[in-house]
Amino acid sequence: VTRLRVKPGESILETSKRTNSRQLPEEQPLLQAVLVADSFNRRFFPITKDQPRALLPLANVSMIDYTLEFLTSTGVQETFVFCCWMASKIKEHLRKSKWCRPTSPNVVHVITSDLYRSLGDVLRDVDAKALVRSDFLLVYGDVVSNIDISQALQEHKQRRNMDKNVSVMTMIFKESPPGHKTRCEDDDIIIAMDGKSKRILHYQRAQALKRLHFPMNIFHSGSDEFEIRFDLLDCHISICSPQVAELFTDNFDYQTKNDFVRGLLVNEEILGNQIHMHVTKDGYGARVSNLLMYDTVSSDTIRRWVYPITPEANFADQEGQSCTHSRHNVYRETGVSLGHGSQMEENVLIGRNTMIGANCTISNTVIGANCVIGDNVTLDRAYIWNRVHIADDVKVKQSVICDNVEVKHGVVLNEQCVLAYNVVVGPDITLPEGTVLSMHHPDEEDDEDDDEFLSDDNDVGYRKDKTKQKVFNPAEVGSEGKGYRWKTSSLEDTEEDELAECIWGLVLNADPESDSESEVSEGSHDLGSHPASPELDDVKVFQNEVHGTLQRGLDENISCDNLVLEINSLKYAYNISLKEVMQILIRVVLEFPFHQQGAQISTAQYSSHLLPLLKKWAPVFKNYVKRPQDQLDCLASMEEVFLERETHWAALVKVLMSMYQLEILEEEGIMHWFNQGSTTDKSQQLRRNQGLLKFIQWLQEAEESSEGDE
Amino acid sequence: MELQAVLMAAGGGSRMMDLTYNTPKPLLPVGNRPLIWYPPNLLERVGFEEVIVITTKEVQKTLSTDQRLKTDVKMRLDVVCIQEEADMGTADALRHIQQKIKTDILVVSCDLITDVALHEVVDLFRAHSATLSMLMSKVHEFTETVPGQKGKKKAGEQRDFVGVDITGKRLLFMANEADLDEGLVLRKSIMRKHPRMLIKTGLLDAHLYCLKRSVVDFLVHNKSVTSIRGELVPYLVRKQFSKSLNSQNATEDSEKNHKQQDTHHNLELLSTSKDEALLQLARERSCWNDHRGDMSEAYHGGKLRCYVHIMEEGMCYRVNTLAAYIEANRVVPKLFEDPPIHPAAVVSERSLVGSDSIIGPLCQISDRTSIKRSNVGTSTTIKEKVKITNSIIMNGVTIEEGCNIQGSVICNNAVIGRGADIKYCLVGSGQRVEPEAERTNEVIVGSDQLMEI
Repeated sequence: VTRLRVKPGESILETSKRTNSRQLPEEQPLLQAVLVADSFNRRFFPITKDQPRALLPLANVSMIDYTLEFLTSTGVQETFVFCCWMASKIKEHLRKSKWCRPTSPNVVHVITSDLYRSLGDVLRDVDAKALVRSDFLLVYGDVVSNIDISQALQEHKQRRNMDKNVSVMTMIFKESPPGHKTRCEDDDIIIAMDGKSKRILHYQRAQALKRLHFPMNIFHSGSDEFEIRFDLLDCHISICSPQVAELFTDNFDYQTKNDFVRGLLVNEEILGNQIHMHVTKDGYGARVSNLLMYDTVSSDTIRRWVYPITPEANFADQEGQSCTHSRHNVYRETGVSLGHGSQMEENVLIGRNTMIGANCTISNTVIGANCVIGDNVTLDRAYIWNRVHIADDVKVKQSVICDNVEVKHGVVLNEQCVLAYNVVVGPDITLPEGTVLSMHHPDEEDDEDDDEFLSDDNDVGYRKDKTKQKVFNPAEVGSEGKGYRWKTSSLEDTEEDELAECIWGLVLNADPESDSESEVSEGSHDLGSHPASPELDDVKVFQNEVHGTLQRGLDENISCDNLVLEINSLKYAYNISLKEVMQILIRVVLEFPFHQQGAQISTAQYSSHLLPLLKKWAPVFKNYVKRPQDQLDCLASMEEVFLERETHWAALVKVLMSMYQLEILEEEGIMHWFNQGSTTDKSQQLRRNQGLLKFIQWLQEAEESSEGDE
Repeated sequence: MELQAVLMAAGGGSRMMDLTYNTPKPLLPVGNRPLIWYPPNLLERVGFEEVIVITTKEVQKTLSTDQRLKTDVKMRLDVVCIQEEADMGTADALRHIQQKIKTDILVVSCDLITDVALHEVVDLFRAHSATLSMLMSKVHEFTETVPGQKGKKKAGEQRDFVGVDITGKRLLFMANEADLDEGLVLRKSIMRKHPRMLIKTGLLDAHLYCLKRSVVDFLVHNKSVTSIRGELVPYLVRKQFSKSLNSQNATEDSEKNHKQQDTHHNLELLSTSKDEALLQLARERSCWNDHRGDMSEAYHGGKLRCYVHIMEEGMCYRVNTLAAYIEANRVVPKLFEDPPIHPAAVVSERSLVGSDSIIGPLCQISDRTSIKRSNVGTSTTIKEKVKITNSIIMNGVTIEEGCNIQGSVICNNAVIGRGADIKYCLVGSGQRVEPEAERTNEVIVGSDQLMEI
């Protein structure tokens, strides 16, 4: 673990702070913040293979700068930035930024470690290092906000004073009801709160649920007014007391904030800790947790919802970033050239020294610095980063194009495409919706990535010695293209609750009616429908296990009683019904000779192998075949097995005979099965088998004679 | 006529059997008036001229003979009798009188005493063309000691959970705690339409409902529904968000798919007045919307709407328990400007009657008697040196010399022997309390009545 204090600003401010505190010992403790500059997930892969998420440009400014600006403007005086993935890049960025100038009112410390795997690790480290002295703000490095936290802070302090240390956290929410653009469908949260105290009673992500379930104990708090809110967006800004860090230490299984909140609410009665909430109506706060949110937050920034953080404010105070703001939210930095007939319709931000050709139509788009854009280009909701070359006649809709990408002539990017760093596409290719291209091969991470933890990544260096020769597929990237196609949907996330999430996040549910199931019977509220019957896989695995058990039984001469015991325990392990156990057992036994002797054995060999086995395992069968119905099921599965092996039909009669003699099957059962109307031609054919007919006839006669005897 | 009023006055008062054993609930005296006087009075104040009264034979007889009621109530009472033994619910009763119902209705229970501005409820009904609008109030904490009840009121009473939208008017959810063993379950689609839901407990349902005429038709077709509060209202609240009702083309499909009968009844509920088309047009042309947030049409296209008016202040009692009865008796006299001592009562000059007490007609109150914070009913005789505080004395009671009565309810025609000391007791109708008895916190009723319970 390396801890690095950023030098330039620190020494001066530290001393001035010390003198201050000496003068005013009773002054409020300075406001601290913990900024987590790592997402601990791979939502932005493959983009974040080259650049950590906190440094990705949003409206041409790195996201972490928005977060720091927010913290500073809300009065934070000391910020701890925790980095893991590509920490050196973040450190470098911060060193150059205004936050590390001596004049910065907010002292920034960067703390890096390769060992952070989650928010929990970070907060445990905060606790171990005893970094925070009082209430602190907890934010991620990708939060864009202009919320004035002071009121919430005041409320938080009041609560802490009134009820010593009961309330440990105040979460900040922004109103954004379903259908609102900034509503993040990943974070589809539903909250039950106490109407008066604003205490959170229940917190749940609801995206997969049709019915929302609230346990009754949350309504026993003595209040008579509760509020259920489905219109909130978690800004991922929280006011925490130092206890929060301690709680993470005490509960080492807490990984995410979600774990923490849920854990605290569930154990409220035990731990006695409460969480409160603050809802801002006017402020803006959102976390860029996926590309859809990136799209939304970018366009909100350009539309000035985050005022005073606007593109022309150049709050990051970087040289050459100043831009002009004209009607329809068109922003231009210096040195932009626009060709004849090109139109910037609305909500457009163009970085410095970017050249745009003739007859282009640009709307709702951000273009970075030093880009070259050809003629007749149409851009809508495009996010183009720095040094991108776009040739003539290109169309881009709602896509992200990273640094140094080259888009050749005539390329069409449909919605939600991502071109990661240095990719080349074209010419004359149309990328379907949701295409993600990267210079990194999708497999390369799988090779190197055996550890179970998924931080953004651990291995910083790229592997130059590529073992496999990988070729670009011209069908994917065009004839002159460079890049590999990533399958978006296969990206899985371990942090978020086992949701397979793609880089763009979940699609906004356009049709709110779609899930309002028609009321078939209101009485049957309980959705607790029977768990789906065990998956096919389970049955398959079970079958293999049974086979293995029998094989072992044969090899080690295990008694039938023990075999039954083993099969029964397997039955419970795989949740197999009794009927299925029997069917599978029959199948396994009947196929046993094939497994032992190979599939090519003759019918005679087959039966000579099978019959001793049947005799040996007769007690096992008897254990499962008891009622008349069991016999029928048993016969049906025998028929099924034999139908698959036409050549061995002659053995069927021997099996039946043997089972009859072993008193596993009775004549009524066999007769019943035989007389049953068979459905398929093949099973009718089976029943016309000579041997079988003889056996049946023999059975009938035996029956009659036994009746005659009586 | 916009609304027809229906007064439900056939309830037995099963939650205060000690009181209603001999006197039907509608005739219990509250502030020296029978309970049944209050709802017509409420209706009269807002201009109703006629009310259909559903009641029992026994009550009807009193209604037709009681002179005071006749002079007090000016509106026309259309009394419909139902058989007591039939055990009819309120919905059954509505079905019973469906022939008489021509318009939307306002149903009110006879045990409601309130000073609500009734137009609030009716305005919700009108403004939103609601299927149901109802009245609720904050539950009152009863402060008085209740006779025969040990300790404080038990908190075990099951709470009602009422969900309203952010305006506090639209009724979204309704359930009793008893039905929520599994926890409170809401459909996400409701939360999508109404992202903020206030769940209130501690509300008292006043049992006052405005209902669309079509609901009565619905009841006629669904004979299984017996109670308005128990079944009909929860059903309507749920139905607001069912798909088959809300999307028009769905009804087309469901006609084939769903059970024929079910669809039929759904349509039944929908069939509204002939103005519906005009209202629809008005909504289409208007920029008004009932919600904000998403861009869908007003009411999200829902045709069935339930509203509730929740009284934040003012008085609202449902006299259906002993505690409520006592409380109502305390509060109600203050609301009327009747003289506290009826002119036809004979009150000795050497007695002390507090201004917070009321004395009914034909009472006889003797010397050196003190009455404080108490109601004394008609034709009651109170002898010398009696001290009555915080008590309700009904009609025809005789209280002998030197009694001390505190915090008690003495029912009709009871006789309290001389020198008895009665604290926090309920003395049943016609009971005799022996002289010099000392009773505290007891329910004194006849043995036959005990058997009944």
